[in-house]
Amino acid sequence: MQQRIPSGSLKSTKPGAIISLIFSLLLGFVLLHGCKKEEPSTPEWHATPYEIDIPYGFPTNLNIPEDNPMTVEGVALGRYLFYDGRISGRSDPDSMMSCGTCHIQANSFECGINHPKYFGGFPFGVTGKPTPHVMLPLVNLVWNSSGYLWNGLVSNANSNPAYRNIEDLVWMGIVAEHEMDSDTNLSKQLIQNTSGYPELFYKAFGSETVTVKNMGRAIAQFIRTLISANSRFDKYLRGEVQLTPAEIQGFILFTTEEGADCFHCHGGDGNPLFTTHLFYNNGKDSLFTGPWEDPRDRYHITGDPMDLGAYKATTLRNIAVTGPYMHDGRFATLDEVIEFYSHHLVWSPYIDPLMHHIADNGVQLTPAEKEQLKAFIAALHDEEFLTNPDFGPPDKFPDEE
Amino acid sequence: MRSTIFFLLVTILFNTGCRKDPPGETVSTQKLILTFDFMIDGNPLQRDTLLYMNEAGNQYMVNEIQYFISDVVLHRPNGDPVLLDAWTAIHYIDSDLPDTRRWEVYDTIPAGSYDSVSFTFGINEAKNQSLMFLNPPESFMFWPEYLGGGYHYMKLNGKWLDTNSVVQPFDFHLGIGQIYAHYPDSIIGFVQNYFTVSLPNSAFSLPANGQQQITIVMNIENWFRNPNTFDFNHWGGDIMQNQEAMRLGCENGHDVFTSIVAKQGSIEQK
Ligand code: HEC
Ligand code: HEC
Repeated sequence: MQQRIPSGSLKSTKPGAIISLIFSLLLGFVLLHGCKKEEPSTPEWHATPYEIDIPYGFPTNLNIPEDNPMTVEGVALGRYLFYDGRISGRSDPDSMMSCGTCHIQANSFECGINHPKYFGGFPFGVTGKPTPHVMLPLVNLVWNSSGYLWNGLVSNANSNPAYRNIEDLVWMGIVAEHEMDSDTNLSKQLIQNTSGYPELFYKAFGSETVTVKNMGRAIAQFIRTLISANSRFDKYLRGEVQLTPAEIQGFILFTTEEGADCFHCHGGDGNPLFTTHLFYNNGKDSLFTGPWEDPRDRYHITGDPMDLGAYKATTLRNIAVTGPYMHDGRFATLDEVIEFYSHHLVWSPYIDPLMHHIADNGVQLTPAEKEQLKAFIAALHDEEFLTNPDFGPPDKFPDEE
Repeated sequence: MRSTIFFLLVTILFNTGCRKDPPGETVSTQKLILTFDFMIDGNPLQRDTLLYMNEAGNQYMVNEIQYFISDVVLHRPNGDPVLLDAWTAIHYIDSDLPDTRRWEVYDTIPAGSYDSVSFTFGINEAKNQSLMFLNPPESFMFWPEYLGGGYHYMKLNGKWLDTNSVVQPFDFHLGIGQIYAHYPDSIIGFVQNYFTVSLPNSAFSLPANGQQQITIVMNIENWFRNPNTFDFNHWGGDIMQNQEAMRLGCENGHDVFTSIVAKQGSIEQK
């Protein structure tokens, strides 16, 4: 299927304008080339660019920092590091922890509600300290430019350059008490001393020296490849399959104000990410100060009282496997979430204006409509993403090759 | 002729060197700068506070406004319209994003005097195609396919004090309307609600090599008055599936926008 681009009409263009256009093009060309600085001559090191194919309907702008271009070698290294427990600076199997300890592919890179250790889907760090909030999936994050984490702390808008992008979540994860509770020097040394890694760092970054910065770069590159765009709904958008009548009804409910009214925050046919990555108070609570204050809500980032109790609207892709739901994991099932949006919204002065069904405590879906809505949300499930071997743990680590 | 062009090229090259100029600066000598403001009752909009009263007597606040204008036309005294047809022919304005509130038009706009400026509020039928904006923030304006597709013309989100003295959210969203056989299913037709706005007092002149700034002001209270008194207690918090409410809103739109033409030489710097 072809994507439509705005058709620039040339109706009012005078011949003069065309000549000017040719001029400016020519000029631009000459200027560009005339002023190009000589690239510093690099020796043999060369990494292979990694191209991200933009899926149908997805944004074309990617959040890739200029100093960390995607390369095949960088992604491959990032995958090892993501799954290697030695990144926690420990080699004792009992206390090793990797990103993949919590971020599990089969659960859309959350730990999942059936996790044998993180009972109910509530993870904790090596020392047993629980994470302040439950997990977020690692899906299509290369399209998020509005901030990572539930409150958007890690964003290009952060004045502190240590909290800008996915790269930074690596050092943060290593030192966080509720995650690896370690020291970046230890993890750097351990990786440096693990045979195979220095060579991979050279291939990815042109230097065998392991740095925390390059560990962050490599893992971030890997996370940016975690793209989910092959659900039944994607295939429907591309004209490859037809949805069932229940799924279609659910789709209509999802994208209508008089229906379930989810689309303004969670996307739809014009926004197949199924999130805006923006922050809203979706009407779960009425009190946000004193004992109810959450020092990690959006308000504590922006200082704007309208952001009290606001969190990121997460993507609804693969949502069936990412329970428990909401930042605090208060809902165990999707049914509970739909009940909540249907009948149990709570008014507060901070509720987002898009939650205009608050007057009726919710969108008041009938039992049949709830089933249809669920059927549609299930069509956002992308099994290919959850089983793609490129995203899973490597068979062997570099020192085992 | 060819040698003149060559000569010109060389001169321009030598004069510009490696300076980084905005695209087109070297060819388009006249420039129009459109800026966008929001006012209520003659004062700059103060958001998030229940400060205002509309004509129906609803006390209300505004939280955020996002909208599109397109087909900006500059009207010359001889009646010859100049359509601004840069690649950004559809412009998005967002109360939260300062960058969207300034549009520098690099088209080659002939120098001279102009009687007025007009534009389309929203996007016309031919241009309002689904998935033509793939990137945020514009893509977040998508209008669901089932309701007619394309994009919201505007999202004006706020809250009002209802008859039970509860502050309720309203989403005054305008876009393509629907005709229902049986509400809310069985849509049998769509209504294009975009309309043309002629800015009053928007005469200006563009001196050769000069630039002109025009501020387009949205006077928010006018969405809710003249000719139709729009009462939130009657229409409720959402209107995307209520063509009657959207029609009344769009009819009120004719005098929502005014303009401030900057005096020559007093261009506000970014
Ligand atoms: C102990 C479990 C745990 C480990 C280990 C862990 N994470 Fe996370 N991760 C979480 C939780 C919980 C969140 C949500 C945190 C929040 O926003 O409060 C999260 C959030 C994230 C996010 C933000 C996603 C988004 O949509 O904003 C990224 C990216 C991420 N983790 C990457 C990593 C990387 C890289 C590592 C390894 C260095 C790692 N995580 C290790 C639990 C973990
Ligand atoms: C005003 C914006 C808004 C609307 C409308 C909205 N949501 Fe949400 N949604 C959110 C936010 C914000 C969160 C995260 C809140 C939190 O964690 O505290 C969320 C969370 C969720 C979650 C849990 C995600 C997770 O990973 O834990 C699900 C499921 C969900 N919404 C489904 C829906 C459905 C279905 C609808 C329509 C009936 C809907 N939402 C309408 C903003 C919205």
